[in-house]
Amino acid sequence: MRRHGVLIPNYVPGDSIVHRTPLWLKFLLVAACGLASFLVVDWMVSAAVLAVMCGLFLLTGAGVERLARSVWLVTPILAAIGAVQWWQLGGPTAARIVLNVLVCVVAAAVLTVTTPVQALLDGVVALSRPFKRLGADPERFALTIAIMLRSLPFIAGAFSDVRDSARARGLERNPRALVLPVFITTVAYARQTGDALAARGLGEPAD
Amino acid sequence: MNTIILSEVSVRVAVDGAPAPKTLLQDVSLELTEQRIAVIGANGSGKSTLLRLLNGLVAPSEGTVSVNGADSTRDVRRVRSKVGFVFTDPLSQLVMPTGREDVELSLRRSIKNSTERRARAEAVLERFGLLDLADQSIYELSGGERQLLALAAVLAVNPAVLVLDEPSTLLDLRNRELLRRTLAGLEQQIIMSTHDLGLALEADRALVVDDGRIVFDGGPADAVEHYRALCAAEPAQGAR
Repeated sequence: MRRHGVLIPNYVPGDSIVHRTPLWLKFLLVAACGLASFLVVDWMVSAAVLAVMCGLFLLTGAGVERLARSVWLVTPILAAIGAVQWWQLGGPTAARIVLNVLVCVVAAAVLTVTTPVQALLDGVVALSRPFKRLGADPERFALTIAIMLRSLPFIAGAFSDVRDSARARGLERNPRALVLPVFITTVAYARQTGDALAARGLGEPAD
Repeated sequence: MNTIILSEVSVRVAVDGAPAPKTLLQDVSLELTEQRIAVIGANGSGKSTLLRLLNGLVAPSEGTVSVNGADSTRDVRRVRSKVGFVFTDPLSQLVMPTGREDVELSLRRSIKNSTERRARAEAVLERFGLLDLADQSIYELSGGERQLLALAAVLAVNPAVLVLDEPSTLLDLRNRELLRRTLAGLEQQIIMSTHDLGLALEADRALVVDDGRIVFDGGPADAVEHYRALCAAEPAQGAR
């Protein structure tokens, strides 16, 4: 499968202030952005927060291209959501909802470009440690995040490959020719990943 | 020395719409102690099922599989800690975006300290000549580099046995040679299915699997001859 742009960009080594910010603070920032998307009611505030997030992203040195790539991938979905919201609730509400989603996407990107995956997983393990008392396995939480980070670009890649195959057969306008193979490929990928993890003893209960 | 024992093992799976389960392996009894064992056979003959039994990825419908005394069904964690498994397609095996992260993922259970884990991962990558590629996306690596990385990620936890399911199938000649040299330098017991008969000839013992049964078990030269005769006698499935 070809390499594809990713919604959540990989770690970019650097020494920016965002790189040096403690992980817990970056987690807090992402959580706050998610929470704010429910609380902010003015689209202009959302636009301002988005501008701040984009500024933070560029401060990391990861570049405009990476930022554009991570935002570009959600554009079709956001366009559809925006259109429906515009029709149902009007322009300002549609703008607020779309901008709030973008704020979350860029905040997540700020976290992942400035944090090595293993540090991110260590952070997830530390954060989920209190749940150990309830029988949860923090390493499994981390593994779930790792698989999610890996699976999103795979599914995006599968969609592109299937779209090319459909185009080659003159079926690009047939939704079944696009959706069904992606679905089957994704299920097969999930099974393969499960086998690969099991074979490496990953995801099994902790000692 | 490792001892893997398969005792009267059969594997059957239910098939949608079929009245009876399909038999993937039938009455297999083996004791695998040699350092290099090759498994050869046609596509769909049961090679992968046989290998997957050794790591507990497939449970026997009948019979038992044990690795150094650990039962693959009852004590699957112990078995998996002893038996590393390398898949045909490294992309389905590599979970993380870069090589360094994938090797570190393998080590997460055994090494809790992140600095120590990183150092150990770097040592493993260096051993396989992959340290310079450690931070590259796995999609940017060549097929051979990816397969070596998958191997490195499995060997990072130092299993006693290494099982490889057609590791050279997706590789070009140069990368096959690289893989062959790498495998030759490993101290682990290696059990490998392959369509590369040259690779099979280098084993200490070879098994020929056909239609879910072990139809030959012996020296690799005789096994390859047996396999060739089998293929010559029977047309490929699609041509029947």
